Amino acid sequence: MKAFTDQGLQEFFETLARDYDVLVPIRLHDGTRALGRPGDGVLALGGGLLPRKLTSVFFPQFEAIMAINQSPLRVQSPALKPLFVVGWTAADLDGLEFTDEFFNAHYRDTVYFNKRAGAVIVGLSGWCGENGAFQRIAGGKCDLELIRVGQWHIVRPYSDKGRGLASLLSGGEDVEGSVLEALLEESNRLPQDDQRTLEAASRLLLEGKVPASFWQKIADRCIACTACNLACPTCTCFDVFDLATTDDGLRRWRLWDSCQLDGFAREASGYNPMGEQRVRAYRRIHHKLAADAIRWGHITCYLCGRCDRVCPAGIGITAVCRQMVQEYGKP
Amino acid sequence: MRRVLTTCPYCGVGCGFYLLVGDGETLVGVEPSSEHVVAQGRLCVKGHNAFQFVNHPDRLTEPMVRRNGELKPASWDEALDLVAGRLREIQARRGRNSVAFFSSAKTTNEENYLMMKLARAVFQTNNVDHCARLCHSSTVVGLASTFGSGAMANSISCIDQAGCILVIGSNTTEQHPLIGTRIIQAVDRGARLIVADNRTIRLARMANLHIRCRNGANVAFLNGLMHVIIAEGLENKEFIRERTENYEELKKTVADYPPDKAAGICGVAPEEIITAARMFASADRAMIIYSMGITQHTHGVDNVKSCANLAMLTGNVGRPGAGVNPLRGQNNVQGACDMGALPNVYSGYQKVTDAPVRRKFEEAWGVSDLPADVGVASTTAFDLAAQGELAAAYVMGENPMISHADQTHVRTAMEKLEFLVVQDIFPTATSELADVVLPAASYAEKDGTFTSTERRIQRVRKAIEPVGHSRADWEILCEIATRAGYNGMRYNSPGEVMEEITRVTPIYGGVSFARIDNVGLQWPCPGQDHPGTPVLHVGTFSRGRGLFSPAQYQPPAELPDTEYPFVLSTGRCYFHFHTGTMTRRSRLLDREEPGPYVEIHPEDGKQLGIRNRQWVYVRTRRGEVKTMARLTEAVQRGVLFMPFHFEEAPANRLTINALDPVAKIPEYKICAAQVRVVP
Repeated sequence: MKAFTDQGLQEFFETLARDYDVLVPIRLHDGTRALGRPGDGVLALGGGLLPRKLTSVFFPQFEAIMAINQSPLRVQSPALKPLFVVGWTAADLDGLEFTDEFFNAHYRDTVYFNKRAGAVIVGLSGWCGENGAFQRIAGGKCDLELIRVGQWHIVRPYSDKGRGLASLLSGGEDVEGSVLEALLEESNRLPQDDQRTLEAASRLLLEGKVPASFWQKIADRCIACTACNLACPTCTCFDVFDLATTDDGLRRWRLWDSCQLDGFAREASGYNPMGEQRVRAYRRIHHKLAADAIRWGHITCYLCGRCDRVCPAGIGITAVCRQMVQEYGKP
Repeated sequence: MRRVLTTCPYCGVGCGFYLLVGDGETLVGVEPSSEHVVAQGRLCVKGHNAFQFVNHPDRLTEPMVRRNGELKPASWDEALDLVAGRLREIQARRGRNSVAFFSSAKTTNEENYLMMKLARAVFQTNNVDHCARLCHSSTVVGLASTFGSGAMANSISCIDQAGCILVIGSNTTEQHPLIGTRIIQAVDRGARLIVADNRTIRLARMANLHIRCRNGANVAFLNGLMHVIIAEGLENKEFIRERTENYEELKKTVADYPPDKAAGICGVAPEEIITAARMFASADRAMIIYSMGITQHTHGVDNVKSCANLAMLTGNVGRPGAGVNPLRGQNNVQGACDMGALPNVYSGYQKVTDAPVRRKFEEAWGVSDLPADVGVASTTAFDLAAQGELAAAYVMGENPMISHADQTHVRTAMEKLEFLVVQDIFPTATSELADVVLPAASYAEKDGTFTSTERRIQRVRKAIEPVGHSRADWEILCEIATRAGYNGMRYNSPGEVMEEITRVTPIYGGVSFARIDNVGLQWPCPGQDHPGTPVLHVGTFSRGRGLFSPAQYQPPAELPDTEYPFVLSTGRCYFHFHTGTMTRRSRLLDREEPGPYVEIHPEDGKQLGIRNRQWVYVRTRRGEVKTMARLTEAVQRGVLFMPFHFEEAPANRLTINALDPVAKIPEYKICAAQVRVVP
């Protein structure tokens, strides 16, 4: 088993750029971390969760999906080079597994799979979290995982593609198996409180034990910034609309939508089954923890933590679930 | 995909974010900056959607000149020569003050500086103003006379430290969303919240006290609070003695506002005033946050002064967690004021009537005889135009046909102008009347700075090339100056303009693009080593001692009567910004509030036979609009509320052009109206 420094990995990423569209965590102008091409900014593997959901590389905020000019209709074509995306936390990988399932169910979303197909997924875990905190080891669900220990990243491949790519890495330090075992133990020791809270909240919702007044309190605080939806790796709703272009053509766009908006479910007649903010606040949480649990057989919040960070009003999903369980979870 | 760090073009909170530039040099998203001092990785719905309008097909992409009554495409050379030539010719014929310049709180500091330089150095007039006239001119006057500086006294982060927050006349979660949520979080931590607002705004739902004062009764309310504070000995005697003057006058005035009387004027219970007074005065650190509900009145300056009086009375000035904090509405309305896009001051609030100041600017600009007469306010300019005394106007990035009070009057005035130039990014109701339309670049297509409500000067960065043949406002202004025969407005970049600004503007003296590359500086920042000023008036007021400026309650200009029985109040909604030119071209924002509406109390609706979502006519003495009824208990009985964003039902066709005598701000918050069902 080999481990590599940031420098070694940076060189590896650069060599891959010939065959892949490589995206790695970098530091932007003011220190914000984001996915970017190696060389667009300093490599920033440490620092924890990337603020923007990584699934945005396959399902971006705003993209043209079809164009109509004088020539016949053109649909978005597959990417020239497959993506190589570094930085997925274990929760992100759980989320990715769900979005793959979602975009492939019933109707295969070609716009999503044009980018997703052939993409290499590289997880990031170990002592690479915010302020050096430990980040859960995924142990799968990706092609490669980089597990940080000290200044080193243990490279652990899980798929054939991952093993092939890992074999291209030269140099590095040999690491004893016991080091990885210790890291896995550390990962297993991570507290499960939030997961238990989420499951308890899910049960409360499935059993209909949370009254409307609770959701009114949440709605009173919500300013409908929509950030929870925009940040959530398993939020997949989009709006589709057409806009004329300057060359007399027409382009069809899709844009991340938000169930926290009144217009989200408003019907042409003006009737809106989600016309009250209270109902929308309920919907956001109920959908992930109850409706999806019935439809897909599992909860679709993986506790990535983004909505709690970006919500300016302090009502991200874990905050709401904690409050819910505290108020209604007592036997 | 590239990411370019910039500052939000909507409200004055000044959130930083990254614009995402996709293939084909079009914008494909917004990514919040997790490191930004105010945004902290968060944005409101307008911020998250602040990219879509930029590449909208409606953008103005080439200059247009009116020929045979119609606007036709023209070359830049033709349009620019025409503007410079016609302005010169009109001035030669009708005097230098026959021309007025409307600058813009949406454009950068550099551009506002250049607009006022163009007016003053090139066209020799102080007739330059901008939309701060319509939002916070009362603040600039009121706080300058009481404190010596007409800007937000404290920083946004001070909200985190406040023990009590009085929000008066500000729908903060909708108009300054990230300040609004900061207040929510402060309440979570135990801060007391008093909301004084006629409407049940979101903050009212979590306030310790929500006082629904009658519209226009702020002076009586604030005097009532101060009466109780003094009567109960809760005033800060030491602060009053050491830091202020004219206290006896205040005491005399507010003695006349016992709770019973004040409450009577406000239409609330005396106990509410007593409780609020005790809550505010007993807090260790108490903060006042206000906005248009205070300023947009014929007695807006009195309202502002009364806020200042209350803060001084309780010693809540010059320390963290306190202060009088006007929230500026537009991205750069603070900066546009700072840059002297006002008829009476140069940049840094240096008076045009002050001879040494004029000499300084004459020297800096290489001109002589800068005008010493104060110019006209934009609101008064339309009166003059209607009377035929103003012949030409140059409007940059404003849409007075929708934003100024009494639209019919504004239209008459504009149509009377010999020559109207409009420089904007989209066609507007104002550009339809123009003789020349100059296509400008949007905020995403140019460099510069905006100054946020907390006096923070921050970078705006060019993400993409100007759309079509549009040009950055600063480049257009420099071209006009050069073609008008002036050689002192040639710059290679906005950074060079900022260098000039810092040389002539002491409060910006230590600012440079290099210093604000990552984190903006808060003025005053007089020198290269100065760290900026998060809290104003520490130790001493800008004017020395704080001046208590007591005011008497005055009723609004037009009150309801039997013919027009409702109070009509205007404002904004969360999803749109001003005249809607940008937000109505942003898919989700437009979908959310697709059309005009008027808020009516359900009981009033019942009485008038008006159902929810029914079309109604709202009428005042100025005009009538057709809009959709929205029945809601957010408004009180007898009050109508209309947002002014919608061109198809312009609220400002209804409003009254009654002005505060000093600030010249119109009374947008109150006029008399009637409402009836569309048959």
